[in-house]
Amino acid sequence: MKKRTKWLVSIVFLFIGFMVAVQFQTTSYESQMRETRDVWEVREELQRQQDAQQELLESISDADQTIEDYEQQSSGEQLDTLIESIEVLEERVGLNKVEGAGIEMTIAPIFEESVTGQAYPELSPHLLHRLLNELNTYGADEISIGEERITNLSPIRDVNGSTYVNNRPIGSLPITLKVLAEDPAKLRNYMKASPTQDIFNIDNMEMKIELKDSLLLPEFDGALHLEILEETGG
Amino acid sequence: MWLPILFLIIGLTLGVLTDIRIPDAYSDYLSIAVLAAFDTLFGGIRAQLEKNFDDTVFLTGFIFNISLAALLAFIGVQLGVDLYLAAVFAFGVRLFRNLAIIRRMIIDQKLLMKFRKK
Repeated sequence: MKKRTKWLVSIVFLFIGFMVAVQFQTTSYESQMRETRDVWEVREELQRQQDAQQELLESISDADQTIEDYEQQSSGEQLDTLIESIEVLEERVGLNKVEGAGIEMTIAPIFEESVTGQAYPELSPHLLHRLLNELNTYGADEISIGEERITNLSPIRDVNGSTYVNNRPIGSLPITLKVLAEDPAKLRNYMKASPTQDIFNIDNMEMKIELKDSLLLPEFDGALHLEILEETGG
Repeated sequence: MWLPILFLIIGLTLGVLTDIRIPDAYSDYLSIAVLAAFDTLFGGIRAQLEKNFDDTVFLTGFIFNISLAALLAFIGVQLGVDLYLAAVFAFGVRLFRNLAIIRRMIIDQKLLMKFRKK
């Protein structure tokens, strides 16, 4: 091989090596997840995880306490503990009446003096969904719409043009929502400032919010149909 | 013989150390360029064994193949047809053929050597 050819081939080899290395790095790089969070975001995540851990530990200790109670007590007392557990669970699901401080929201129609006239406003399931999500976000504990208690399984549907909650129509406006919360004043303030008000206004409805010291929420009286339970994982 | 291998190692180290990464959108181009480079390389080795190696042909082949492959990939992206697959196919076939010829030549040479010794 001539000397010139040798150098030429060598330089081509250099290029090839370089390209292969870059290609290799590019493909191996894609498999790694990039960490783009800054220190504060990482701290917040840490805080969240610690809170979650704390909650889990608390519920573990509660469960341990219950187990201990079962083991140590006589059969009569065991029955009592069982009944107590059932009551606690029923309370949580919404099978019992609840009384407490909260806010009472009345959704009433607004009438404009328009020449063409207007249709009587109706509360659509979408709007109701939005309202409930917002209430839950701002710390509502228990909610009832009219005489229907909202549980985790309560369906809100559109059936032939009218809104159904718990498979029963909610009727026409005005509708009263009773919401229990730990801090009703705060919840009221949040709701007064929320953009949902405006959306209700667009649909010719208004929302009146009153603070109440004592509200009685009805129990959920239907059967709890829980057909599909899936592990969410994680 | 050792100089190209030395340079290959230098190239690899340079590529790893410089920490260069190609954006996702261009990774197709680079992969096809690497394939074209391999094709030229094996073509060169084959020509060397056939004793008709010419450095001008080798160098122009290297540059031309890479540019053509990149161009084909580019046109493919513009047209929405995976044209780079055509280049991958062509280079793949040529690679295998060249490798087969190189293998046969080496075997032939060894057989000839044995025959001569007898």
